[in-house]
Amino acid sequence: MLKAMLRGLFAHKLRLILSALAIVLGTAFMSAAFVSGDTISRGFTDLFSTVNENIDVQVTGKSDVPVNPAGGEGLVTALVPQSIVDKLKTVDGAQTVTPQVVSDGARVIDKNGKAIATTGAPRLGGAWVDGDPAVEIREGNPPRAADEVAITANLAKTGEFKVGDTIEVITLQPRQKFKVSGIAGYAGGRDSLGGETFVFFTLPVAQELMLGTPGMYSNVDIKAASGVSDGELKRRVETAIGTTEYKTLTGQETADAQASGIQSFLNVFKIALSVFGILGLITGAFLIFNTFSMLIAQRTRELALYRSFGASRNQVLNSVLLESILLGLVASLIGLGLGVLLGWAMTKLLASSGLPSGSVVLKPAVAIGTLLVGTLITVLAALIPALRASRVAPIEAMRDAARPDKPLRTMTIAGLITLAVGIVLLILRGTKAVDNNVITLGLGSFLIFIGAVMLAPALTRPITGAIGKLVDWAMPGRLGVRNTGRNPRRTALTAAALMIGVTLATGAAVFASSVKAGVTDLFRSDLNADLVIAADFASGPTAGFDPAIINQVKAIPGVTSATAIQSDAVRLNGKDGFASALDVEPSKTLFGLKAKSGDIRDLNAGEVILNDAFATETGLKPGDSTTLVTARGGESPLKVVGILQPNQLVGSPVVSFADAQGFRVPVAQQGYVKVADPSQVDAVRAQMKTLVADNPEVTVTDPSEQLKQSTSFLDLLLNVLNVLLGLTVLVAVLGVINTLLLSVFERTRELGLLRAVGMSRSKMGWMVATESVLISLLGALLGLIVGTGLGIALVKIFGGDFLKLTIPWGFLITALIGAVIAGLVAALLPAIRAARLNVLQAISYE
Amino acid sequence: MSSPISAAARAADVWKVYGSGEAQVIALRGVSLEIERGKFTAIMGPSGSGKSTLMHCLAGLDSVTRGQVIIGDTVVTGLGDSGLTKLRREKVGFIFQQFNLLPTLTAEENILLPLAIAGRKPDQEWYQTVIQTVGLSDRLKHRPTELSGGQQQRVACARALAARPEVIFADEPTGNLDSRSGADILNFLRRSVTEYGQTIVMVTHDANAASYADRVVFLADGQIVDELTDPSADAVLDRIKRLDLSVQAAAE
Repeated sequence: MLKAMLRGLFAHKLRLILSALAIVLGTAFMSAAFVSGDTISRGFTDLFSTVNENIDVQVTGKSDVPVNPAGGEGLVTALVPQSIVDKLKTVDGAQTVTPQVVSDGARVIDKNGKAIATTGAPRLGGAWVDGDPAVEIREGNPPRAADEVAITANLAKTGEFKVGDTIEVITLQPRQKFKVSGIAGYAGGRDSLGGETFVFFTLPVAQELMLGTPGMYSNVDIKAASGVSDGELKRRVETAIGTTEYKTLTGQETADAQASGIQSFLNVFKIALSVFGILGLITGAFLIFNTFSMLIAQRTRELALYRSFGASRNQVLNSVLLESILLGLVASLIGLGLGVLLGWAMTKLLASSGLPSGSVVLKPAVAIGTLLVGTLITVLAALIPALRASRVAPIEAMRDAARPDKPLRTMTIAGLITLAVGIVLLILRGTKAVDNNVITLGLGSFLIFIGAVMLAPALTRPITGAIGKLVDWAMPGRLGVRNTGRNPRRTALTAAALMIGVTLATGAAVFASSVKAGVTDLFRSDLNADLVIAADFASGPTAGFDPAIINQVKAIPGVTSATAIQSDAVRLNGKDGFASALDVEPSKTLFGLKAKSGDIRDLNAGEVILNDAFATETGLKPGDSTTLVTARGGESPLKVVGILQPNQLVGSPVVSFADAQGFRVPVAQQGYVKVADPSQVDAVRAQMKTLVADNPEVTVTDPSEQLKQSTSFLDLLLNVLNVLLGLTVLVAVLGVINTLLLSVFERTRELGLLRAVGMSRSKMGWMVATESVLISLLGALLGLIVGTGLGIALVKIFGGDFLKLTIPWGFLITALIGAVIAGLVAALLPAIRAARLNVLQAISYE
Repeated sequence: MSSPISAAARAADVWKVYGSGEAQVIALRGVSLEIERGKFTAIMGPSGSGKSTLMHCLAGLDSVTRGQVIIGDTVVTGLGDSGLTKLRREKVGFIFQQFNLLPTLTAEENILLPLAIAGRKPDQEWYQTVIQTVGLSDRLKHRPTELSGGQQQRVACARALAARPEVIFADEPTGNLDSRSGADILNFLRRSVTEYGQTIVMVTHDANAASYADRVVFLADGQIVDELTDPSADAVLDRIKRLDLSVQAAAE
């Protein structure tokens, strides 16, 4: 019995291959995300173990400064003084004590005058330490004089530097010239550890340029004497220097701590990518549901025959489920294999940009998870068709297999109810009646989507009929339109697969375009500046310019107001957040700052102006005293002089430039300039450019250009999302091909007749293409409608000034055109099949 | 032999061979036949005699191994797909045992389908004549599933007639019908020949159906073995019996 039924499964190879392909793609994507993530993460773990191999115990300052969410973790702030180093040397069991200076933010200028960038890895600068077993000079000598540096081979390669070259480096200080005395590499022949660059200075230079404080160190590495364990040495060190101000870790703990930062980033990467893999799988589930429904409809007679021989319902059910398990398992296995391959390729690709790599890591959990998810989704998708198969009555073996379609009313009513519940949930969230985002937004959106899918069959005929009017004039078109409406359930399910990707992309597009419009409006209406100096986004958190430059800008003829803005994370009134230093008087013009209470004026050291939200939250009033903790400056008292009216451009407390000297980096990130007459703008711009000419990380632009730059990030994000959603669209197109192939197969006789009464091959093709394009358009249209609706709901719910509801018409039209193209592509194979039918065989086909 | 002008279709020394080697089957062995214009020709023969193959070859649905087929003034043999498509649009009509109507189209749309595919406008007067002759005026807006078998086959007949092709090929047109509906169809075919001068070739194994024809051609073992003009059902039956005997004799 089982054997016979399994033979039935393999009789429909092409369709099974298509369904399997959907699972293969989804599982491959998912496993590739994990494999590459795990491989990279193993690479980092190995790397940090190597780096810390010679460190038994490491001492660092306990960093008790506000964390800057914008990055700059490597900008060491809590330092270790010489006195502690001396104390460590006296610890019993410490064989060697090596104080180190390492910090992020040593930017080397390349031959084109640009700062050499990395792909996210730090640009380290530090002190050369003789006898460090992890680093070796490959060429030349270590730095011995204040104007000498050694650079890593990675940096030498990227910048095409040789020993003896003069290079310029931007550190905490503006650019300075150094002579390359040597080129260094890491043990094991590595040019870099993980794509980072490293400039080795002499110790005093490193302390000044990288830490900004002479006589201090970023960390102290200690090697244990033989017979003293790492843990024991750690305990002794802690006894010697205490645990309040300094953190003491064993080498292993250091490696783990370093790796965990990367790990959490990689986890986000893995989960984000596998979400798209699972979306692909869910899309594939529609395809599998369709395939199994079709296979079972075709095999009704066969199944009834088994039933009339005495096969029980359960036997039929089990055999169909077994088919789906087999299909899911085999497809997931292939997908897993493909995923490992893909992950490996991705790792190699990333390794070429400097990430550490090693042999491919396939964790058992990932393998099992992939197989389980792939198989489970296949089985779930096949469950309803399987139940339907088990209800085939033996009598149907004798009957004509064609059964009339069940009416759509029940499904449509259920769909309407689901849709309504979803909408109500969103409204509840919109009116703040219910605040739980998971229930309202998550469940609401999901129900709206499901409701739309359930309504799709009832909408199939009206929608395809309406679109079909366009092609109704020609016979192939008219036949194609009618064929689309023949089996609304099948058409709708096929289209629904496409809906998933389109809905998500549309929702994101609506939201993003609303953000863009909101931000643009803000810029246009509230910002009263003609020119902007800004640190390049890609240059990292250390990029910027000396705020004093703005005084020279103010002196340029035609400039009426100008200010620099220097921002950092601080702890104000015991609360971590951002603060900015700016010139308050010109900012009244530039940003429209107005007093809510107190004075809004230029600040002296120890004074602060609070933004409205901060004042409301803390209850501070003008005249109150509070405290400020900066990364380098420690704690100092502050007096509140004024409170701002709500302002869209300045949304954080304002401190003086004097207090800003305690910020992590002594540079301003932005500067805004107002010019008296528009005709002077170009002249002012030219002069400003000469002022920052020696700073390759800063550009002079105008607000609209700056706006374009800041929104281009959004575009990039949207593009990445769309590319990832492309996977679901690909699977959906497979579904369209699948449905059409089946239609061509089912309608063999009709197609034969059409040929017999004089339809040409190309017209046959167009008939199939019409059906295909209509299915894709139906899916795209429903997806666009639902997606736009959800996007609008999100914008309304989150509201705020940075959101201005904007419908991305360009995207919607592009999506429709894309659907037509996808439909044509999907039609290719089925159309060829239809056109190639042998007329005589087709017409006499049983 | 009639003149080439009066022949609606001709087969000249047509051979049809399927397969090769051991599995070779010769379906037609040098069949030559002229289908007279404006006549109703029936092709009869026992199962496996090659009667369907002959019709398929005559209609250009199947290629011939050797020999030539001509419909009207078109040489069918050697035509490519586009040539055959054009031929089917302009010169040939079909009626099948299984009706073969398109379920998505109404009766009227089915009737006009060949014209629509060819992009031709129906001749209104002729169209009215056809639907009145087949008696479908009140059923035109119905879908095939809403029609009885006899009605469906009448739609199929009207579809074949509407384009006024050179020849209509009917493959066992009454095979799926009860005797009354079958008689309706045969009467209708007879009338289109007598009254409108339509040329019809019908393959059948039913002696009664063949008796409606002007001429019956008997096929056995891939060859034309006999023919009758203006046959009666009894005469046809008689010939069939004789043929069966001779076939049996040949086999022994």
